[in-house]
Amino acid sequence: MPEIRLESICKDFDGHVAADDLSLTIGDGEYLCILGPTGAGKTTCMRMICGLTRPDSGRVYFDGEDVTDMDVDLRNSTMLSQSYSLFPHMSVYNNVIFAPRIKEWPEESAKQIVRSMLNMVHLEQKADWKPAQLSGGQQQRIALARALASGSKVLLLDEPLRALDARLRINLRKELRSLAKEMGLTCIHVTHDQDEALEMADRIAVIRRGRIIQVGEPRDVFENPATPFVANFVGRSNVVTGRLTASDGDHAEVTVPGGWVLRTRPTGIPVGTDVVVTVKVGSTKVSHATDEDIPNRMCTGTIERILYEGATITVDVSVDGMGTLSAKLPNRKYDDYKAGETVDIQWVPSKASVFTMPEQGLEEEMRLD
Amino acid sequence: MSVLKRIDELSGNPKVRRSWFTLACAFFLIIIVIPSIFVVTKILTEWDLVNNILSDASTMDIIMGAVWNSFSIAFIVTVIDILVGLPMAWIMVRREFRGKNVLDTLMDLPLAFPTAVLGLSVVVFWAVPPEGITVPGLGLGITPYMLVVLLHIIFTYPYMVRSLSAILEQIEPNYETAAMTLGASRWTAVRTITLPLFRAGLATGFILCFARSLSETGGTNIALLLMGAITDDGGTFFTGPTFIAWMKTAFGGATSPEAMGAMILISVIMIVFALILLVVVRKVMMGFRIPIKKVWPDIGRKVSRGLLPKAKDVLAMAFLLFVVLIPSFYIFAFLTQPTGDIDFGGLLSATGTSFLVAGVAVAVDIVFGMPVAIYIARNKGNRLADVLDELVNVPLIIPTTALGFSLALFWGSFGFSDSVALMLVVLGHISFTYPLVVRNLVGAIEEVDPSYEEIAITLGAKPFQAFRKILFPIIKSSVLAGGILAFTRSLGETGATVAISDSVNTIPIYITNLVKAGMAGEYTMFAEAAMCSIVLIAICFVLMMVIRAMSQGGDRDA
Amino acid sequence: MGKIKLDRISMRFGDFYAVRDISLEINNGEYVTILGPSGCGKTTLIKVISGIWTPTEGKVYVDGVDVTDVPMEDRDVGYVFQNIALFPHLNLRDNVSYSPRVKDLGDQVMEERSTEYLELVNMLARAGMFPSELSGGEQQKVAIARALASGSKMLMLDEPLSALDARVRMELRYELRRIVKRLGITVLHVTHDQEEAMSVSDRIVLMRYGAIAETGSPLEIYRHPKSVFAANFIGETNLLECTVSDKSKMGKTKVRLRGGPEIRVSRTNFNIGDPVVISVRPEHVYPATDGLRAEVTDVVFMGTYWRVRTIAETRDHVEYNVSTSDEIPEVGDMVHLVFNKKATVVFARPEGGIEEEIRLE
Repeated sequence: MPEIRLESICKDFDGHVAADDLSLTIGDGEYLCILGPTGAGKTTCMRMICGLTRPDSGRVYFDGEDVTDMDVDLRNSTMLSQSYSLFPHMSVYNNVIFAPRIKEWPEESAKQIVRSMLNMVHLEQKADWKPAQLSGGQQQRIALARALASGSKVLLLDEPLRALDARLRINLRKELRSLAKEMGLTCIHVTHDQDEALEMADRIAVIRRGRIIQVGEPRDVFENPATPFVANFVGRSNVVTGRLTASDGDHAEVTVPGGWVLRTRPTGIPVGTDVVVTVKVGSTKVSHATDEDIPNRMCTGTIERILYEGATITVDVSVDGMGTLSAKLPNRKYDDYKAGETVDIQWVPSKASVFTMPEQGLEEEMRLD
Repeated sequence: MSVLKRIDELSGNPKVRRSWFTLACAFFLIIIVIPSIFVVTKILTEWDLVNNILSDASTMDIIMGAVWNSFSIAFIVTVIDILVGLPMAWIMVRREFRGKNVLDTLMDLPLAFPTAVLGLSVVVFWAVPPEGITVPGLGLGITPYMLVVLLHIIFTYPYMVRSLSAILEQIEPNYETAAMTLGASRWTAVRTITLPLFRAGLATGFILCFARSLSETGGTNIALLLMGAITDDGGTFFTGPTFIAWMKTAFGGATSPEAMGAMILISVIMIVFALILLVVVRKVMMGFRIPIKKVWPDIGRKVSRGLLPKAKDVLAMAFLLFVVLIPSFYIFAFLTQPTGDIDFGGLLSATGTSFLVAGVAVAVDIVFGMPVAIYIARNKGNRLADVLDELVNVPLIIPTTALGFSLALFWGSFGFSDSVALMLVVLGHISFTYPLVVRNLVGAIEEVDPSYEEIAITLGAKPFQAFRKILFPIIKSSVLAGGILAFTRSLGETGATVAISDSVNTIPIYITNLVKAGMAGEYTMFAEAAMCSIVLIAICFVLMMVIRAMSQGGDRDA
Repeated sequence: MGKIKLDRISMRFGDFYAVRDISLEINNGEYVTILGPSGCGKTTLIKVISGIWTPTEGKVYVDGVDVTDVPMEDRDVGYVFQNIALFPHLNLRDNVSYSPRVKDLGDQVMEERSTEYLELVNMLARAGMFPSELSGGEQQKVAIARALASGSKMLMLDEPLSALDARVRMELRYELRRIVKRLGITVLHVTHDQEEAMSVSDRIVLMRYGAIAETGSPLEIYRHPKSVFAANFIGETNLLECTVSDKSKMGKTKVRLRGGPEIRVSRTNFNIGDPVVISVRPEHVYPATDGLRAEVTDVVFMGTYWRVRTIAETRDHVEYNVSTSDEIPEVGDMVHLVFNKKATVVFARPEGGIEEEIRLE
């Protein structure tokens, strides 16, 4: 039901800017991930939506209605926190029935809802347990059931998977998203984990230093990053600085240290500008060095090391002048290459992005935390 | 039910919430803080009286002597507590052993003893008791000064161990482990890593113990009476609070100008020094750096292994046993003596008064302290919260006798006096128990993740519903524990009661009067005082056990 | 220097065995990851090696010398904590020079070592800062420098990256391996994150229920897991219940899927009729014109590829990958799937059922 709109929100905590003129619209029934490093203002953004934090300026709208001054308990937006915050003195059942009872729904229908929620998360047999007796994954599910039982149409998820083991986290991604979709909720999911965001989100909003720097579908954010930071934050990228030396409608050329000329997608940046080239490690390919003319060859280097990482391998190649570039290849290529070998590095020019050199310097721009 | 619902609804209104909080703050300021330090203004309005005393050299000698005694005793006691408390805190926090629970209970026991009882017990154990007491003790010929030190160690020691343990628990044990994996012996690790992180705990422990020792009246008074250092006509040895109490009784209330002047002067001196101390200790402790530039690996190694650490633990235990526990329990030796008839009527009426005062005081503390405690705990770093946090300590550090005297003057100036003595005594007891209750509440609330209440509110609960359904049940056992602690403290208090009124007969005063009668030659009164004490201990002990059961029950649920 | 041997180590807390009867050898300069779900006893193991705990049974040898009873301050084992545990009252230089200081090696050594190791982790420029001024990732790098500055040849890493952001974690794990390989020290790294384990280690020790489930290089354990649990825990996989339906003398095996088609798998030692489970990783499942029929239930963008989730005619969930340059199916489409025969691993069917076998907590 609700569409949520944040309009020019600002929030400052004793000099720490948590939201800086932040505007964002979340569609009805959408699953939106707010993705960003620790301290970027993700959680504050979410707390302002449910009203636990008041913005210094700016407005919050639900379905066009200004709710900035509305009490938290009337907003019908429920939060799921990373520590789950299951009420420790209540049984699982009483936790889940908390909201129906507070809202004074008829006891019979409240019980009905609680039963079906517990059923949905497959924990009906744990109804009488205390939260402390449950495993992390089970607690997470109960917290979800409690939130769903409240009848809220907006679900705010604050790093809901962070406290779980890596493997379990991956399993629960699917489950969480499909439950939320099934209930038709508008979801805002805060996370620092780009894989989680890619896999779960309808749209991703990348946030940094209190500002939304890009909003888009996962594929769009991954393939058409708005800044060098996004390029490297959402999927690891090779990052090279150089000068734009040629540009036409097909592609641009960037001359980099070591004299290599890298080709990228077309750009409107004027020739002669200092630029940053980014290309995803997954889009970077290697092949045995050859004298033949290979269309997408960008440079040549020596393999430093090859890491077997399961489904993929990572090949680090040292290139004169540029340092180390990495390529992520399917694992079946593992036996094809050896450390010390000379290889060509190639990519499809349309997979490489080019940006003007950030004002505050590249290192500051690329900081991950 | 409908009242609760009404409050639930009202709590949704931010104006109502703000008003309630303002009311609680106003209560704290007007009923507790201002009356506690009201006496300071008297130095201006009653300057003539004070000036008379200032020019009276012999009275000044007694006053300055008493102040010196109070502060030097408090200092010595606190330093000893720190030295023996540190190893004990380590044992309590970082070790697991059988009987730890028993030790934990034993440690708290002196808190359950009204200090007047301890005074009696300690004199009989260590010193030469006056004629008429037939229970044999060590009979050492120690001075009143040393005896008071020994007495004060008993009831300050638990405070020190508790506050040191609380801080030690918060210090990440991995720091010490990390230091040791880097090659530091335990001694070096503790000296260079844990102790420097410990400053806040030392400051809190220091202030608590110092203030408690500075305040104490009842036990000191009884001890000095028994030692013959204080009589109705005068005395050879006073502490600040005992001097005020003596003036009050010796001159038949504060009506005589001479007593008035002296009492104002000594109260103000005690209050001002105590407040200065509160600030200075904080500053000094925070600025104090333990030098860590140089290490001596070999010495560290020797000190960390073998007999020395064991010897340290044994000494800490021995101290607890011989200086704290046995002298406290020595009162039970009276059970071996034949006793005369006990005046149960008198005992019962005094007990009733005490329970009434303590019960009302604690209930008021909890109701009006809760909003302030929640505010302090949930707004760390906020200016107002920090100011409140500091202010809460004020009644704690002011000697209760001075506080009581100040309070009597304050309400007296509105025309309230002996006619409502009981009410004034209750107000006095509210003042010095309020910090205990609020401190405890703040500690308990800080432990609770605020996201519990936040989630409850996002699930549709009104703020008051979130409080009564979530926060309160979670901290319930701590609230009870803090309440009972304040209750026993109120039960044992003499100084404030005496300073406010001499017509309200609480149980420690009843015991003090029995002892006085004993000193006056009615020797059977000593035994009766002892028996009353034992009854009182029994009551307090049961209360303590209730606390433990409650707080442990709480742990299981959490 | 730095060869570790564990001989039948057990660690008991009350009646509970955190680890039971573990023997393991770690070579000089080897990077070994101890991987397993929460509560499997992995941290206990490195605490025993570094002397923080003394095992209730068994012996620890370093370079052939029994060190079981040597106290931790004399073990000379670097230890990095999950919660970082930098000394908050000391600046970075004093933190890193703490070990030379407590060993009283003199000002010059302290200066040299702290400079060398801060440089190594690229934090020298901020030597005068206090830990609270750094981000989590930076703090952990300093903690590693501090552990290394003891001059130890063995480094224990206790979930060193799990408190950090996902992206920082990924960056740091490459750096971590680079640093320790340059120094040639022996490393034991505890983690619950299989991706992390795969990219940093020479060898993975997979633990479960206080015992070692299996060990092997990342490649061996990914390609040839010895149990259904390992196949599922390390990397993603499709698990399908089936029965051996045919087998040649050479060991060439065919299995019949539940109620459905017969497929060829790698060579096995099973007999016809044996109940088995096959494991095939998503990158070894391909859409084809013929094969296992499946309905697409979900298509998810994973960055460099699309993950297609299907439900097969056998009621098994089967997932496969499609390159971003290829055409992707839509939800509801019927596809035919074939498996890479060589990459299929066959296991005896676990008695408690697959669900129980792959349980994570």
